[in-house]
Amino acid sequence: MLEQLRQQLKALQKPAGLEDSLGALPLGIAAIDDVLGGGLARGALHEIAAPAEAHLAAATAFTLGLMPASTRVLWVAEDMACIESGGPYGPGLDAFKLMPERLLTIVVSRPRDLLWAMEEALRCRAIGAVIGEIRHGALDAVAVRRLSLAAGDSGALALLLRAKPGGDASTAATRWIVGAAPSSHPHTYQFGAPRFATHLTRNRRGPTSSWILEWSDTDGRFVLAAPALPVAAPALDRPRRQTSSRYVA
Amino acid sequence: MLTAPLAVSGKRGNAELLVAIDDAAERRGLRVGIALAQARAMHPALDVVPEDVEADATLLENIADWCSRYTPLVACDAPDGLLLDITGCTHLYGGERKLVTDLAGRLERAGFTLSLAITGTIGAAWAAAHYGRPASYANGDERRILCPLPLAALRLTPSIVASLARVGLKLIGDIIDLPRSPLTARFGDELLCQLDRALGREHEPLNPRLPVAPYVAEERFAEPIGREEDVLGTVEKLAARLAFALERRGDGARRIELALFRTDGEVRRLAAGTSRPLRDPPSIRALFAERLVVLADALDPGFGFDMARLSMTVAEAAPPEQIGIGNAEDRVEMDRLVDRLSARLGAQRVRRLIAQDSHIPEIAAITVPAQIKTSDGWTAFRRHRTEAELAPRPLRLLARPEPIEAVAEVPDGPPLRFRWRRALHEVIAAEGPERIEGAWWSEHGAPARDYFRVEDKMGLRFWLFRAGLYRDFVPGTSPPSWFLHGSFG
Repeated sequence: MLEQLRQQLKALQKPAGLEDSLGALPLGIAAIDDVLGGGLARGALHEIAAPAEAHLAAATAFTLGLMPASTRVLWVAEDMACIESGGPYGPGLDAFKLMPERLLTIVVSRPRDLLWAMEEALRCRAIGAVIGEIRHGALDAVAVRRLSLAAGDSGALALLLRAKPGGDASTAATRWIVGAAPSSHPHTYQFGAPRFATHLTRNRRGPTSSWILEWSDTDGRFVLAAPALPVAAPALDRPRRQTSSRYVA
Repeated sequence: MLTAPLAVSGKRGNAELLVAIDDAAERRGLRVGIALAQARAMHPALDVVPEDVEADATLLENIADWCSRYTPLVACDAPDGLLLDITGCTHLYGGERKLVTDLAGRLERAGFTLSLAITGTIGAAWAAAHYGRPASYANGDERRILCPLPLAALRLTPSIVASLARVGLKLIGDIIDLPRSPLTARFGDELLCQLDRALGREHEPLNPRLPVAPYVAEERFAEPIGREEDVLGTVEKLAARLAFALERRGDGARRIELALFRTDGEVRRLAAGTSRPLRDPPSIRALFAERLVVLADALDPGFGFDMARLSMTVAEAAPPEQIGIGNAEDRVEMDRLVDRLSARLGAQRVRRLIAQDSHIPEIAAITVPAQIKTSDGWTAFRRHRTEAELAPRPLRLLARPEPIEAVAEVPDGPPLRFRWRRALHEVIAAEGPERIEGAWWSEHGAPARDYFRVEDKMGLRFWLFRAGLYRDFVPGTSPPSWFLHGSFG
């Protein structure tokens, strides 16, 4: 009996989001994949925030661009988000590789329902990625941790999309702040490919850094648009953390 | 204790009449149908309540709802009657008489006075209940019951009853053996038609107030239940009972209703929809578990439920599925998820995207509840987009275009700068216009729109349009205005 409980406890204590067995989802950019330890960890929670509300569409695009191709996606948002920022628009989604027929949208009225719906979807084997859109406010840390665990169990990608960077401590495997970056030269008056100012602000597998990415329509993935912003270069030689007993929530 | 006589008054034509009275009023010589003023004059102490037709109808509906514990076939017979088809339901109570005793006992305890009859036809039951001895009972001898009753018991138009009375025909027994053709010739079809219906020579259909579910199972409890687990356990048990029938006919449920009958006569109904025909009892239990969570304590068992009924109100053929080939399994999983989410959050909140054949952006792509299975139209949309070379569409579309203040070249230029939600955006790149005509064929059609894709200094990309063209602008009217409709990634 006691032994059984210990086993259960052990299973519960396993650090979420650091499952190497589930593999990673490479972005296809060596600089980023190295920092992330091979790519975006599957079966983990990732948080993507817009620097300000106006940048939410850019953060949305980045989120969609990260997801594996041809997967079923569930998008949960509060009803306020749909009014303020607009709902996902089918004809524009496949610009970022998401087929609209593979998307399920849920509008909830309470943050509690949002987390519940996300967890429920993460436990469903048919869903490859779950996006939860949060306008503002802190999230219940326990609920977020539950999301990480649910994602770890199923191998699906749990993505929190925020309209503003959240100040709360998070158990997310990575945290990003992604906004739009100018794509066009101010004088040519011509459209370029969309660019994203991407800041990795938390990375449980390695250092953090910033990049300017560009969405390449032909390849259907991000490419590096410009050298990293003037911040400390990623310390690539830093040893990877041990996966056990280093968990800090 | 002597209570003041009570009467209900209502307007009939131009007169205010008594429409209902209690026993005390009746003992004092008041009758239904006399004028209110006259009644007041006879008994100044009379307590008069104005009639509330709607409340009466609601009460009758509620009683009808409660009566569905005896049979699913209940019809309201306005203003004050109910018809129950108890064919094949009586064994549950150990016979017709026991059922009637149970029904009458419960209603009387709830404070109602009732007069009821069980017969083989609707007409005879109505006649006996309204004009016969209390608790009449006929089994194949409707004739014996009907003979001593007045002709009005046949539910005839009052004028026919009056003309029959003029020739001395007052009781049903008076006409029951008369030759038919002279009767019809003199009094019309209605008389014999109603007589035949009462005698069972002609069939009379009952119009149940609720559609009868193709699959129904119910359970009565000796001891009322109230705990959530017990309710869910019952759901699973009933679902298991129905699963056999469903399987035999190759059906699955698309809509399931659970009716819980409270001991005090309240009926609680919960319904859950499914996205694919379902017959697996644990899944059905799971659906109702979600419904109960939302209700929290609104389930309110009071002193407990003494009966539960599970009906599959909509059933559909469920073709046997081959599991494990392709992603059929995924689709089943997906539908289960949709059902669970819909049960908890409401079917309206769980949606999927579909494309429609329209050139107006907000109509071209809409969302529908995910449980509704319609073709999504995206294949056709993509073909159309390639053929028509549509300009890129935004990632997020506002539910309603928001007005912006824009500075733009007249007549057809893109905006140079604009203000949206108090922030100023300096446009450095623009593409357009893409002209989208309004619904000119409709009276409510909006003006044509010129859409532009713009990028501001920060790299934010928006989808703006000018509503109205300078071409059509008549001086003196409001000039074309600008709106923001969506944003690009």
